[in-house]
Parts: sequence; C-alpha cells; structure tokens
Amino acid sequence: MASWSCRFLLQRGTRIFSLRTAAESPAHVAACIRTVKTTTWFDEHLTEDNQEYMRKSTAQEYRRQTADKLNPLKDEPWQRQEWTQGSRRVGLVAVKLGMAPIWTKTGERHVATMLQVQDCHVIKHLSKEEYDGHTAALLVGGKNVSPFHRSEEQMEMFRNAGVPPKHKVTTFKVSDNALIKPGTPLYAAHFRPGQYVDITAKSIGKGFQGVMKRYGFKGQPATHGQTKTHRRPGASGPGGDPAKVFKGKKMPGMMGNIFVTEYGLKIWRVNTKYNVLYVNGSVPGHKNCVLKIRDTVLPNRSSTLLSPPFPTYFTEEEGDLDEDLYDDNLFIHTDPSLTLT
Amino acid sequence: MAACAKGLDKCMFSLRLLRNPRLQNERFISTSLCRLAPAYNSEEPPKFTPPPKPVIIDKTQTVASLRKFLSPEFIPPRQRTDPFKFSIERKDMIRRRKVLNIPEFYAGSILAVTMADPNASGKMNRFVGICIQRGGKGLGATCVLRNIIDNQGVEICYELYSPRIQKIDVLKLEKRLDDNLMYLRDALNEYSSVDPDMKPVPFSPTGEVPFNKMKVRMRPKPWSKRWERPKFNIQGIRFDLSLTPEKMEHAQKWAQPWLEYDMLKEYDTSKLEEQIFREFQQEMSK
Repeated sequence: MASWSCRFLLQRGTRIFSLRTAAESPAHVAACIRTVKTTTWFDEHLTEDNQEYMRKSTAQEYRRQTADKLNPLKDEPWQRQEWTQGSRRVGLVAVKLGMAPIWTKTGERHVATMLQVQDCHVIKHLSKEEYDGHTAALLVGGKNVSPFHRSEEQMEMFRNAGVPPKHKVTTFKVSDNALIKPGTPLYAAHFRPGQYVDITAKSIGKGFQGVMKRYGFKGQPATHGQTKTHRRPGASGPGGDPAKVFKGKKMPGMMGNIFVTEYGLKIWRVNTKYNVLYVNGSVPGHKNCVLKIRDTVLPNRSSTLLSPPFPTYFTEEEGDLDEDLYDDNLFIHTDPSLTLT
Repeated sequence: MAACAKGLDKCMFSLRLLRNPRLQNERFISTSLCRLAPAYNSEEPPKFTPPPKPVIIDKTQTVASLRKFLSPEFIPPRQRTDPFKFSIERKDMIRRRKVLNIPEFYAGSILAVTMADPNASGKMNRFVGICIQRGGKGLGATCVLRNIIDNQGVEICYELYSPRIQKIDVLKLEKRLDDNLMYLRDALNEYSSVDPDMKPVPFSPTGEVPFNKMKVRMRPKPWSKRWERPKFNIQGIRFDLSLTPEKMEHAQKWAQPWLEYDMLKEYDTSKLEEQIFREFQQEMSK
C-alpha cells in the first residue's frame, strides 16, 4: 500500500490573520487533510450513485464468475494421479456458523460445530522451488469480498486465477500428485463423514490478562491476613544460584488472538447442497470467523484417510451425491425413535 | 331430507355432550334418541326404521391442537449468528417432528414423556410431571418436568429432539401466571405432586388455552432464590403469607424500572414468528 500521511490542522490561526473572518465563523474547525497522494480511495472522486453502481455491478460480476467456475474439468484440468499412501491433499477454507447437538445411534448426545464452505477456490500453485524447496504448496481462498480495499498485488493474484478476491487466503502443503489447477472450486464434499481433520483459526482475543486466567495459576487465599495479594503470580523462580528469571516464565500478558490448531476432530455429517460440515466438538475462533481445515496429521487417525476423493471432489464425477452424507453411527432425524437394549 | 336433519340433530347432540363440563375425564357412550320416521299417512302403520347406531366418543384420546402455535425453540435468539444456521437447524427439527409428535404445551402443563432407557426395566421409562421450564433454542430445546415421588422432589430435563424420546403426551394443557415455575422447588409439595397414573384431561383443540390463575404457598425461607426480587417478576406466589410488607418493600430496592425503556434491548419477533410459522406449516404438510 502506498504511503500517505495526514496533516492535522487546527484552523485557529485564521483569527490572528483576519479578525473579520473569525467574526464570521466563530466556531473553530478541526480538519484532516491528506498531503501525500500516491493512491486514491476507489470512491474518492465518485458520486454516491456511482459508488453504489460500482458495488452492485462488481458483486454481480463476481457472482457470475463464481457460477461459471463450477465446471472446472471442462478446460483441460491438470494431469490427475492416483491416491497413494502418504500423499497429502489440499484443505478448505470455511466459515464457522455455530454449534448444534447431534445424537448417535446409541442415543448419546454430542455437540458439533457447523462450518460452511463459502466460495472456496484454489488461487495459486507454488512449486517446490518457489515455496520452500521441500514440498509444493497451493494457495486456497475462501469467502468473496469487495475488491475495493485490496492492494494491486493481491488483485493480480486473484485475476490470474479468474476468481473474485477472497477474505482469507491460506497455504496448504501438498504432495506432488495432489496438485490442482488454480481456479478450481472446492466443496465440503472434499471431506467425507468418518474422517478426522485439523482445524486452525485465530482464537478469541481476551486482552491483557493476569496469570490466573491466562495460565490457571492458583493465586492466593482471599483472607487469613493477605495484604494486596490475591491474584498475583507469587515467586518467579529460585534466588541466589541462577540469580535470574528463566526465559519463558509464565507471566501476565496478552491472551488469545493467536492461531490455534485443534487436532483430530471427527466429521459427523456433510451437507453437500449447502456445503456444511458438522465437526465434532468445538473449534477455535468466534462465530463467523474464517478458518482452515485440512486432513489430520495425527498418525493413529491416518486410517480414516484411505481413498478419499483425490485430489478433490469434482461435481462432474460424482454429481449424484446425496444431499446429506452421514457417519455410520450418526442418528438421522428421519429415522424412527431409538429403542435401546 | 329427513335423514339429513336427523344427522344434523345427532351431530348437535354430540356437540352438546362435548360441551358438557361435568362429564370430563371419563369414557362414556352417548346414544341419540331412538326416533321413528315421521308418518306421512295416518292410516298406514309407520314404517320401521332401525335405531341409529350409538355414537361413541372416546374422550381419553387427545386431539391434535388446531390453534396457531409455534414452539418457542423455533424463534432464533438475538445474536450475530448467520440466520442460515438457524434455518438449516429448523429443517432437522421439522424432519424429527414428522416422526415424533411434539405437541403444544406450556410451562404449567402436565406432561408424560416416554423415553428409551437402557437401565430401566423394560428398557422404557415413562415420567409424569408438571413442566416447570422450557429452555434452549433450535435442536437443543429442553423442558424440565417436576414431580414428587415418595416425598422426594424429582426433576428430569428432557431434550425434545433426542432420538431416545418415544412419545410426549399432554395430560393437562394449561398456562400458569408465570413462564418459569422454578419456584415450585420452594413451594409446598402439593403444588408439584402429580399422580403418575393420571388420565389425560380432554381439552378443546381450538380457542383459548385454559389459564390457571392459582397462586402457590411457599415453604418458610430460605428459598433457593429470592423470588420476591423484581428481576424474577413472579406473579404466582402468595408473598403475603411468607413475607411482611416491609420485606416486600425492601425487595423493591433492586428494581430496575428503567430497563423496560431500553430500546436497544427490544426484540420484536412477531414478523419473524409469522414467517417461520408459515415455513413450518408448509414443510409439515409436505
């Protein structure tokens, strides 16, 4: 982003120069004026009608673009390869909707988080040399946004892929046989019920917190002669011999608002019509936050990843998927009530 | 024409019986009067017509309610969640409701819930109690039933959409002065004891829901909560029996009368309710 600065003017000096103008406008006006102009806001020289027209037309254009991209196999997809043991697929970018209860066929209740995959596309392919010299990577973006507040470099990347600009773009390390052409849409059916996933998102920020909330320290008693010592950390280490506080000592500070990964969450149900994933338990982040889902890296859950849709799910190939895919153990609401034995 | 008039007569008679309040709660047989066909000619002997079959009205069967009622769990809470989340949850709720009939009931109604229980004899458990609270939104909706069994208060919280629930019967449909009857925990036992073998009380499927204006007497203090405080706004307690006027006056110290004028806290659901109700009826009739 090009740099620009503001000069803050307090138009008080006018009074000194001309008493007449001061008499005409007695109110002191504070104003902010841009002095360095290398870029413009998109709406800086537009009337309100034109702004609205721009917003509407670009939104329409992007909707059409997203709809056109639904058939990726038509324009010569990249060479497809078979799934082998140890190959890593791309993941998804999804939006957290909220939580809902689910029941298994044994009558147990679990809670699941609903994640919706909104306009998820592959943006860019980074080859081994471009990325880190070890693996290839794919950039994946999710959730369409307005193009007016993106920099030119970012817009270039989206234009090359032929997709609207995205709210979040993340990198997935993939094996060489799982590469996908940029511009391919990704769907929730990329993951199947019964498999396990890892989910990364930015956790809810808690601000500057003490050690009791941040690390679960015990604190001190409320009474029995305590003076000004109830929630303090206490001693910070041994005295004379090291004669220092060791690095990494748990102390008060900013809590939350960091990237957290939850490992090994089971997928209970996939809604292919609305692209909703039902994932076991809770995931980091607030409601409506954008998060990253990938196949789990846990070694003892790898057996759930046998023969997934590879490299991803293409609508043309298995277009006849049911609206809802359920895990084997999940109770389906159209079934009769359970009788337990 | 005559047959038609007779049929109408029969119908009116059974309607009158239905309206009769004394004969509630029992099974009976009503026979319309045996009448002979009207004689057209005075010379000829009147033609024999067999007496009409007795009309049996089974009052033990509960009727499906016909009044406009939407369960409170369908209305989404006021928050920043995507409304799509609630609509997709409503679809599941309607799917479940097509299998299990979840009737209309309110806090204060007497319910019988049959539930699959692996630890019960016969693997089935039926509990009768008064509904003291309805909670939860969406698929996680619950209701709490309370009863006194062997002089011991028992409360069970049922998840309405749990697949273990086999049947929900409304034994007595009525509303009380409050939407939350948690104060029955501190009331005398007689107010929450319900006969487990209670017969269902018939109710009219249309018109107003019966309104029970009973006020309960409480056990001596201390209570689980200070029900006299204005934030609970309890109408159904005889405070005059357990608290002095000075104490009632003192409780008003915690009143926040300005809160009702807080326009940011207003949540008008009437439009939303109507829309969801229309969607609900459409889906249920499919």
